Amino acid sequence: MIAPFRQWPLRDRLGLFALAPILLLLALLLFFPPDGAQRSDWAQFIGGFHLLTIHFPIALVFLIPVLEIAGRSRRFQYLHASVELVLALAVFSAIASAVLGWFLARSGGSSGTLVVQHMWGGFFVSVFCCLCWMLRGRFAGQRFDIAYISCLVATVLLVSFTGYRGGQLSHGATHLTEHMPSPLREWLGVSKQEEKGPATATPDSSFAARVEPVFAQNCVTCHGPSRQKGGLRLDSYEAILRGGKSGPVIKAGDPKNSKLFQRISSAHDSDNIMPPPGKTPLSTDQIKLIELWISAGASPNLAANAVEDAASIARPAAEITFAEIDDAAVAKQRAPIANALTELDKRYPDVIEYESRGSAKLVINASLMGSKFSDDDVAQLKPLYNQIVAADFSNTAITDRSATNLAAMKQLRMLRLMHTRITDATVLALGGLSELESLNVFDTGITPAALKAAEHMPKLQHFYAGQTKITANESLPDALKGKVQF
Amino acid sequence: MFDSESIQPGAITDDSAHASIEESPIVDAHPEEILARLQAQTRRHFLRSFTAGVGSMFLGSMALKYASPVEAAELNIDGTPRLEFRRDPTRPLSVLPPQFPARAKRIIYLHMAGAPSQLELFEHKPDLTRLDGQDCPASFLQGKRFAFISGVPKLLGSQYPFHQAGQSGAWVSDRLPNFEKHIDDVCFIKSMRTDQFNHAPAQLLVHTGNPRLGYPSMGSWVTYGLGSENQNLPGFIVLISGGKQPDGGKQLWGSGFLPSIYQGVQCRSHGEPVLYLQNPQSVSRSLRRSELDAIDEINRQQYAEFGNPETITRISQYEMAFRMQMEATDALDIRKESAATQAAYGCKPGEESFANNCLVARRLAERGVRFIQLYHWGWDSHGSNAIEALNLGFTDRCREVDQPIAALLSDLKQRGMLEDTLVVWGGEFGRTSMRENRNGAVMQYIGRDHNPGAFTIWMAGGGIKPGFTHGETDAMGYEIVKDPVEIRDLHATMLYTMGFDHHKLNYSFQGLDQKLTSPKPARVVSEVLA
Repeated sequence: MIAPFRQWPLRDRLGLFALAPILLLLALLLFFPPDGAQRSDWAQFIGGFHLLTIHFPIALVFLIPVLEIAGRSRRFQYLHASVELVLALAVFSAIASAVLGWFLARSGGSSGTLVVQHMWGGFFVSVFCCLCWMLRGRFAGQRFDIAYISCLVATVLLVSFTGYRGGQLSHGATHLTEHMPSPLREWLGVSKQEEKGPATATPDSSFAARVEPVFAQNCVTCHGPSRQKGGLRLDSYEAILRGGKSGPVIKAGDPKNSKLFQRISSAHDSDNIMPPPGKTPLSTDQIKLIELWISAGASPNLAANAVEDAASIARPAAEITFAEIDDAAVAKQRAPIANALTELDKRYPDVIEYESRGSAKLVINASLMGSKFSDDDVAQLKPLYNQIVAADFSNTAITDRSATNLAAMKQLRMLRLMHTRITDATVLALGGLSELESLNVFDTGITPAALKAAEHMPKLQHFYAGQTKITANESLPDALKGKVQF
Repeated sequence: MFDSESIQPGAITDDSAHASIEESPIVDAHPEEILARLQAQTRRHFLRSFTAGVGSMFLGSMALKYASPVEAAELNIDGTPRLEFRRDPTRPLSVLPPQFPARAKRIIYLHMAGAPSQLELFEHKPDLTRLDGQDCPASFLQGKRFAFISGVPKLLGSQYPFHQAGQSGAWVSDRLPNFEKHIDDVCFIKSMRTDQFNHAPAQLLVHTGNPRLGYPSMGSWVTYGLGSENQNLPGFIVLISGGKQPDGGKQLWGSGFLPSIYQGVQCRSHGEPVLYLQNPQSVSRSLRRSELDAIDEINRQQYAEFGNPETITRISQYEMAFRMQMEATDALDIRKESAATQAAYGCKPGEESFANNCLVARRLAERGVRFIQLYHWGWDSHGSNAIEALNLGFTDRCREVDQPIAALLSDLKQRGMLEDTLVVWGGEFGRTSMRENRNGAVMQYIGRDHNPGAFTIWMAGGGIKPGFTHGETDAMGYEIVKDPVEIRDLHATMLYTMGFDHHKLNYSFQGLDQKLTSPKPARVVSEVLA
């Protein structure tokens, strides 16, 4: 015999009332599952409260067994009376949190096994919570009371499971196990590898081939298995789409509104820039690559060559780094010529200089001494010949008499003999300078005969023959084509 | 604690046991001499050395506390080894090697003061031309400050037709017919930006790395770091085309807190190259020499008495001025060039012009001057008068610089000097994609307002990738969409080509390792390096 609804106890009436949102929730979960697609701001806004309210049912559900057990003792008998209210609150907060959770999942960026498990966990928490409430006290003292107890146990287990999955979603899959002491880890049989987020991207996709390596190289130390700054992981496709504590970081097809892209493309002195100041910044091409990938829909399996323009991105220019000079090593390299150099430096101030502070190679510039610098002076430099990599004897009084001395500077990369009286004989003597890249005989008496020697210099890139007897309509040997400047 | 003995006059002997006395320069002196020296110690000297003495006592105790294997003086504030720029005080411009092998040995900087319009020269924006005359979108105005634009301005398409030139296919307008022959030699940076929208601070930022007064110009930094190969000329020379002086004033080539020997010397391309350098009438060179010898002798006595290194610097300045009388006059005399060369630059000797200055720049570069800075004027094309109009004065400005720049690049290339000379061309900011509407009215002439958000510069030679374009602006040429380059990034890149890590070319001042690139992080734009 069923009494009229109005005469039902309040609890039963409310219980039936709670059934409606549970059914609604079931329908939502079945017909509108979270699919990772981005949705309106409203869904995101409402969904945000899930993270707030979720703590109520967890705390309340754990409180119930405490109250129940404590209430058995005579001293705390009065606690028994509270269980009813706590259960009712747990039911409604569980349902509300589950609905909010659906909003959050639906607002975008959520898909994958973790989300599905968490979702159904949350649903069954509210169902079992409701069952507990309906069953409690109904069979008090009878053997069916076991139904209430097992329901309660199931609820507590379900809350634990769902809460753990939720924690994994917001703090990373390994948030509980990563700092687990290794003896405990072995005993529980938890390995670190198992905890890695599943990679669901196609191996030869644009993502796997180009985008993921950028994250792997620059981001995962802080946004990966070991640390999840801002709750964000960038070590798998799913993790990237899931986003961080403040929500999704990628808005497929819209890089300008994707938080991840906004952060990596900030001005490099702004507080928002990622990687943060002090860390190696992403190169412009890497940023462009990620922008193109997001524009193309941030898909996990889009073919690598399908991302427009990506192929045209040249290999990024290497960032310039500066090495410290090892003074001791430099001094050692310089030691053999140090004395000779000190002497010659006094005689020819500002003519001889080291190529750099970290080098024992020398650069000569005698051009400013003009006619005061002659063949004899070139001969004076003899002790240094092997160290000279660049020499400028323009405007000086040198002649072909220096040819053999110049030819002895085997390391020469650049030789300037502008406005001097040298002739073809000098150039012909220089054929053995295998390192020479640039030879300058501008405004000298050089004739086309000199090209013969220049032709055989293996590294020669520039031959400056302006204002000589070699004219622009001279037919050049193949080896010198494009290298002679008139 | 003072050793009571050491302060008794009678105890001042050459006894080496008294360490505190031993270190002073009056150790081995005869008592009368010591007395004479002490008499030379005025109250000011005493007070100065006294405060320094207290300071060094404090620092000495701190140094003991934090003693490390490397001496404190050899470290930068960040703990890395310091590069040493100390020199013989009589030769403050002597050559020092760069930190690492350099690609450029000297810089020629061509500054177009007033900020030339990138949209009439290098930025080809067909969409902007299509939308010419339409209202500017609100998003262009939000949060922006303009010098003169008010209300909603109209978009303004380029005033001149564009075409592609050279192997690189870079776009260029029809205003620079000679320059475009060198388009494959230069590297454009189309994504320069600045945070200053008025001329003087923006020019200061470009040249000193700081929009405020009192910081050394990049020419000063480079001469401080590398010295000058030619001891008969200043290491840093500035030439101005006549017309208006740059708004930033002489601070643009000032040496700031660096020793004043490193400041830029402004030379004139007609008349006396440096004012008051020549001897007065009826004073012969030999008379001048004996005069200088007398002054030097007095200065030397002064130095022997007080030991102030600034006195030595003063002697060397007098000597350099004397040598410069010959060398500078010769270097700045473009009449010594052939008529053909003068014609190639479009020079008119005896006039103040950018053309003359370009030829002088080449002559100075050949003479080992480290940093040569040319200022041209009149590029502030607001449209407020005929001179500052894109349709009038701008054309004249282009004509004034086009041929000389092309001739300079040709000359450097022909002489093999583009290999180790870095040429930079640019203004202090860019110009808007909108037509200026001063006071909200349609103006008689066509012009654009200041746009610090995007502008174009080009570089050539000295380790820079030729025929390359770096950075990109949006379809309106208004904002940067790819690879923004800050002024300090440009500085870091220029110093890199000269063989320096911009962190290491520094100078301790006001408790900071001061450097050209400011304390903000700067990046060497590796993309533009050859």
